[in-house]
Amino acid sequence: MRKLKFHYRTVMRFDPPVCRHSYAVRCVPVDTQAQKIQIESRYVKPADSLNETVDGFGNHRYVGYCQGYHSEFEYEVRGVAEVESMVLQKEALHPIFKYPSKFTKHEPEVVELYRKMCPLEGDELQRAVFMMNYLYEHFEYVPGVTNIDTTAAEAIRLGKGVCQDYAHIMIALCRFARIPARYVVGMMIGEGATHAWVEIYYNHGWYGLDPTNNLHVDDYYIKIAHGRDYEDCVVDRGRFYGPTTQHQEVYVQVEEIE
Amino acid sequence: MQNLIDRTAEINKMLARYGVKFGIYKNNVFKEQLFPFDPLPRIITKEEYIPLEKGLIQRVDALNLFLKDVYTDKQIVKDGVIPEDFVFSSSGYLPECEGMVPPKGIYSHISGIDLVQAKDKSWYILEDNLRIPSGASYPLIARELCRRASPQTYQSNRIIDNRNYHKLLRDTMENVNCGGIPVIMTPGRYNAAYFEHSYLAERSGCVLAMCSDLFVNENVLYYRDYKGEKMRVGVIYRRISDEYLDPMTFNSESLIGVPNIMDVYRAGNVAIVNAPGNGVADDKGIYYFVPKMIRYYLNEEPILKNAPTYLPFYEEDRKYVLDNLEKLVIKDVAEAGGYGVIFGRDLTKEQLENMKQLLIRESRRFIAQEVIDFLDLDIMEGNERVPRKADLRAFVLSGETTKVWASGLTRFSRQADSFVVNSSQGGGFKDTWVLSQ
Repeated sequence: MRKLKFHYRTVMRFDPPVCRHSYAVRCVPVDTQAQKIQIESRYVKPADSLNETVDGFGNHRYVGYCQGYHSEFEYEVRGVAEVESMVLQKEALHPIFKYPSKFTKHEPEVVELYRKMCPLEGDELQRAVFMMNYLYEHFEYVPGVTNIDTTAAEAIRLGKGVCQDYAHIMIALCRFARIPARYVVGMMIGEGATHAWVEIYYNHGWYGLDPTNNLHVDDYYIKIAHGRDYEDCVVDRGRFYGPTTQHQEVYVQVEEIE
Repeated sequence: MQNLIDRTAEINKMLARYGVKFGIYKNNVFKEQLFPFDPLPRIITKEEYIPLEKGLIQRVDALNLFLKDVYTDKQIVKDGVIPEDFVFSSSGYLPECEGMVPPKGIYSHISGIDLVQAKDKSWYILEDNLRIPSGASYPLIARELCRRASPQTYQSNRIIDNRNYHKLLRDTMENVNCGGIPVIMTPGRYNAAYFEHSYLAERSGCVLAMCSDLFVNENVLYYRDYKGEKMRVGVIYRRISDEYLDPMTFNSESLIGVPNIMDVYRAGNVAIVNAPGNGVADDKGIYYFVPKMIRYYLNEEPILKNAPTYLPFYEEDRKYVLDNLEKLVIKDVAEAGGYGVIFGRDLTKEQLENMKQLLIRESRRFIAQEVIDFLDLDIMEGNERVPRKADLRAFVLSGETTKVWASGLTRFSRQADSFVVNSSQGGGFKDTWVLSQ
C-alpha cells in the first residue's frame, strides 16, 4: 500500500470568449477496492450551475453550465489516494464488456493481429499478459500520429500511437479472445497528462494491465473512470457558442508521500 | 360512404393545406411530400377488436417489464430465456441508461405496434416501435376532416370516436410528470414528422419546444418562453432519437438535443417520453423473443402471433433459412423504415448465393420471416376500387393503465406489386374505424 498525493488541473482558453457553455467533466477519482480517495480541494469554474452525478458505469461526473461570456474554463482536483498494488477487484461482470464497441470493433486488422499471437496458453490473465507483451514489443509509442478518433484497427495499421491506442488494441484483442475488457482513464506516478490502460475480467474480478508500459497496474496508479472505450471515459465534454479557437493545458502530478 | 369517397379530393386538399406532410431525405436532399389519403377506411369490428386490444396490452406490458429487467436485474438473460448476445450486442442497448428506472417504471409510454391481417383474418405482429413511433396525428386529423366533409357517414356507422388521442397522450404524460409543464420537443421543421409534433402539441395543450428553448440548471430542466420567462419542465415528449438527445452523454457532435438532460432524468426531476434506451426491446432480433417474454413475465400465452420468424443465429433455423431462402423475407436488424428488407424471390441465383454467404458470416445481423399472405384492402384509384397491401400501426399508451387507442394508422402501398407500406417509401394512409358494435 502506498500513499499518493495527486494534483490534476486542466485549463482551457477560448479566444474570442464563448458563452452558453454546457459541460460534463469526469475528473474526480472515486473509491474502489484498489484505492481510497481523500479529496482535499476541487472546483470547476466558471459555473452558474454545477451538480455532481454518476454515469451508467458508476463514474463521478460534474455537470454544469455557464451562461455568460468567458475566456477560460478550468477544473482542478487535489487529494490523497491510498492505493493497493495488483488488486483483483471482485464484482459481477456486466456483459457489455464482452462485446466490441465503437473503437474496438473486430475488424480484419484485429483478427489478423490476434492470429499472429496464437497459440496463446494459460488462463485469461496469462493470455492477456502475453498479448500485452506482444503489443509492447510490436507497437511503437509515438505521440501525434493518432488522434482521439483513431480506432483500434487504424492504430494497428499505423503500428504506432499513444496510450489510448495501446488500450484500444488490447481491449479489441481481449474481447475477440473472449476475455472481457474495459478501458480505464487515470493518473500515474510522475508529472504529465492523464493516462489510459485496461482492466480485464477473470476469476470474478477486474484486474489492471498497462500495455503502454507493459506493466501490471500497481500502487502507482490512480483510476478516474472506466467504460467500454475512450468515448465512455472522455474527461471533458462541452458545448458552447462562439467562433472561437481553444487551447488546452493539462497538468497532472502524482507523488508518493510518507 | 359514397359521399365520403366523392369528397376525397377535397379532403386531400385540406390535408395539404394543414401541412399534413411527410418529409424524407433522399441523397441528402430534404423533400417534403404529401401523405396521400384514401377514403376507404380499414374497418375493425367489435369482435375483431376485443382480442386485438387485449393482445396489444399484453404485449406492451411484457415489453415494458423486459426493459426494466434489462436495465436492472437482467433476470431474463440469467435464466437463459434470451441469449445475452441479442440484448447486449444490440445497438439499441445503451449502457448509459444502466440502472435507471424511469418514473413509475414505465419505459415505453407510447408504443406503435405494426400488424398485418392475414387472409384468414388473424393478426400478425410485424414489428414493435418503442422509441418514438410517429403516425397517430394522421388518422386523427383525417377523421376530423372527414367528419366535416361527410358528417352523415359518421351518423350512419357506429364508429368509436378516435378524436381522444390528445387526451390519452396528455394523461399518459401527466401520469409520470415530475412536477412542471408538459413539453413536446421537436428538432424543428426539417424533421419528417414535424406536422405531427406541432399538431399533437396544439391538441394536447403541451408546449411545443425546439431543443434550444430548453436548458438545464441545477439538475432541473427548464423551458424559456418568448418573453424570456423560465418554467420548470416535468415531462418531456421528445421527438428526437436517443443518439441526439444529450450531446454530453450520447453523440457529442449533436447540434440538437439538450445538454445534460440525462442527468436531470437520472435525478428523477423529469420524465422522458419514451425513455432512452428502448431500442433494445424493438430490435428486429429481439422481436423473435417477445412471445417468450410474455410467458416469462406475465405467465400468459401470447394472444397475438408473431409472423413466423427464424434466427440464422440458431443452427436449426439457419439450415431452414438457407434451404428456403427464395420464399422468405430477410430483414437487417439494424435497419428501419422499410430499408434493409429483402425478398428472397426477387433475388437472382447469384444474389441468393451471396445472401446465403452473408447469412452464414453475419448470422446475428439478420432475421428471416415467412411472407404472410396479407389480406389486401381496397383503395380508390380514380373511380375504381383496387386491392393493395396494407398494414396497421396500433398505438398503445402506457399510463396509469395500458390502453389501446381505438383507431390506428393504416398504411398501404400504392404499387400493386409492392409489399412495403412505409410512408418513407412513398405509401399512403387510411383512417381506421373500430366499430362499437
